[in-house]
Amino acid sequence: MAFVERVEVAGHIIDSLILAKVLDVILDAGADYRIVDVEIGRTSLDPSRAVLEVAAEDDDVLARLLDDLQVHGANRVAHSDARLAVADRDGVLPEGFYSTTNLPTEVRLSGRWVEVENPEMDCGLVVLPDGRVRTEPMHRVRAGDHVVVGNDGVRVRPLSKPRGATPFEFMTSEVSSEKPKDALVAEVAGRMRQAKARGAKVLAVCGPAVVHTGAAPHLARLVRHGWVDVLFAGNGFAAHDIESNVLGTSLGVRLASGDARAEGGHSNHLRVVNEVRRRGSIAAAVADGWLTGGVMFECVTHGVPFVLGGSVRDDGPLPDVHTDVVEAADAMRALLPAVGVALMLASTLHAIATGNLLPAGVEAYCVDINQAVVTKLADRGSHQALGIVTDVGLFLHTLADHLAPE
Amino acid sequence: MTLPWGRTFLMCPPEHFGVLYEINPWMHQEVAVDLDRARAQWDGLVDVLRQAGAEVEILPPEPNHPDLVFTANAGVVNGRCFVPSRFRHPERRGEEEHYAAWFSSHGYEVAALPPTVSHEGAGDALPFGGVFLSGYRQRSDAAAHAQLSRLIGAPVRPIELADERYYHLDLTFCPLDDRRALVAPDAWDTYGRRVVEALVPEPLALTVDETAGFCANSVVVGTTVVMPACPPRVGRRLEAWGFDVVEAPVGEFQKAGGACRCLTLALDVAVGPNV
Repeated sequence: MAFVERVEVAGHIIDSLILAKVLDVILDAGADYRIVDVEIGRTSLDPSRAVLEVAAEDDDVLARLLDDLQVHGANRVAHSDARLAVADRDGVLPEGFYSTTNLPTEVRLSGRWVEVENPEMDCGLVVLPDGRVRTEPMHRVRAGDHVVVGNDGVRVRPLSKPRGATPFEFMTSEVSSEKPKDALVAEVAGRMRQAKARGAKVLAVCGPAVVHTGAAPHLARLVRHGWVDVLFAGNGFAAHDIESNVLGTSLGVRLASGDARAEGGHSNHLRVVNEVRRRGSIAAAVADGWLTGGVMFECVTHGVPFVLGGSVRDDGPLPDVHTDVVEAADAMRALLPAVGVALMLASTLHAIATGNLLPAGVEAYCVDINQAVVTKLADRGSHQALGIVTDVGLFLHTLADHLAPE
Repeated sequence: MTLPWGRTFLMCPPEHFGVLYEINPWMHQEVAVDLDRARAQWDGLVDVLRQAGAEVEILPPEPNHPDLVFTANAGVVNGRCFVPSRFRHPERRGEEEHYAAWFSSHGYEVAALPPTVSHEGAGDALPFGGVFLSGYRQRSDAAAHAQLSRLIGAPVRPIELADERYYHLDLTFCPLDDRRALVAPDAWDTYGRRVVEALVPEPLALTVDETAGFCANSVVVGTTVVMPACPPRVGRRLEAWGFDVVEAPVGEFQKAGGACRCLTLALDVAVGPNV
């Protein structure tokens, strides 16, 4: 249904069955509609009004249908082109700039609708000299860029919500605390298989709890078998992953036995961070044989790109950490194209940051033991988010057994 | 209960009447109009209406506007508000200023539809049950009804006229009293039929032949139904309901596609909370 126009029909359209007729005419023509807006008059004297988005497979069908609809008083909503203003300073959007959503968005330029290439929320829309339109975060705008201002000539397409019986079929801020976990994990595995089959990438966003709960070897297994294409985390996750592989502890706790702190264990992560800094990068630590296992090791070995975003409280940090957060976000953006599934694994801050960058159509699975975190993640960012309240260790273990049995 | 309107009509003598162009399937320029006979029929209709208790006001005839006799198409009257027609065909657009001038000089508030829509007045807008039914597709635009409703302050329900022979609603629908109406469902689309079914508790459905005989293009004055010609079946039913049927033959005008209702415009319609 590539060809879309909006029509408006107003007046006493309910009692006169005009609205019903208009909808029937659309369906009879083999086209489809979405009711964008409807106001029903309160009294018999009040007029009603409906705005419909009419979609047809081809332009001719749509043109004929629009003529038919006009007979019944449904007229095309006049669209104007988007208004553009020129940015006068680097890093500053023009006043009145259109602020984006993460939904699929189109901009009307010279009477033609142009699809925005990389939907991202809270950005501006920059029209390139060749007529393409991209979202750009504020700091990336350059003086002279043509930026969309106002709402005219911009339209967003809400994601269609498939109806169905399982939470996966209406994935909107669903939280799974009372749902059978094995079935959910099997579904996630299925979704990852589907994504990979259509050439989409899987992104893992990891918090340190992945390591603390002993789940890192399962995640490493998924990376090793090609189930993770991009990894985002912070200094903590990477440091503890390396600590656990070099010293057998995570934040000083022995992972094998669960023993409380080994002697001097609280400084273990500092020592491994220091050793990586001595070598210059995680990749260098792998190359000289000092780091021989774990998630970061598998990423380096299998060429899985990762972004480690820094924060104020980081120890070290590891040399790979982006200490400039704006730079970190840009590095994350650069890895997002083609991502179809995002696993948010026991991470609050990095998961929220990622959610803000993802287009709405990406399926996001937010796994955390804390329902509040899951709800918060699911409510933000992605429209296609499913929260799974469970221990991330159990989740990753089961997921890896589904996808990468060894 | 008899209709609360239909005691005062505006009519225009047929001094300049004729079939000078063809804008509906009934009109054939080669068919000559007998103007003397037309005058006699028009006078006869005026007499019948007056005898039934109606008052008739006269719109002065104008040369070059043969269809000015069909005052039902002057516009829509509601209370003291008058919305002049915007004709679909250029042949009739010259009539608009004459109607507007008459209503303006008689103390009506004249409210105009935008020039982008067509609506052909009371010929396509008849009150029933607290709303106006308004015909569309043939002469009036569906898009006009929302604006018409706003101007006259009354609900307007559009009905699609599916047969080009019945190009105005008043050829297919005639309110008789507060519960009854003559209806010609064959002239409407299925949605229109359902709308009328829901609105009119006791319809008298006309056959195809009865509709073709301009049966619905009648004028009701209290309990008198003035018809161009009354089929026996319809006459019996109307009499059973307590109406007197009076025939007023208007064959000369039927050559132009109009009969009794088309020759009159009720000036005493008042629908809605503000009139």
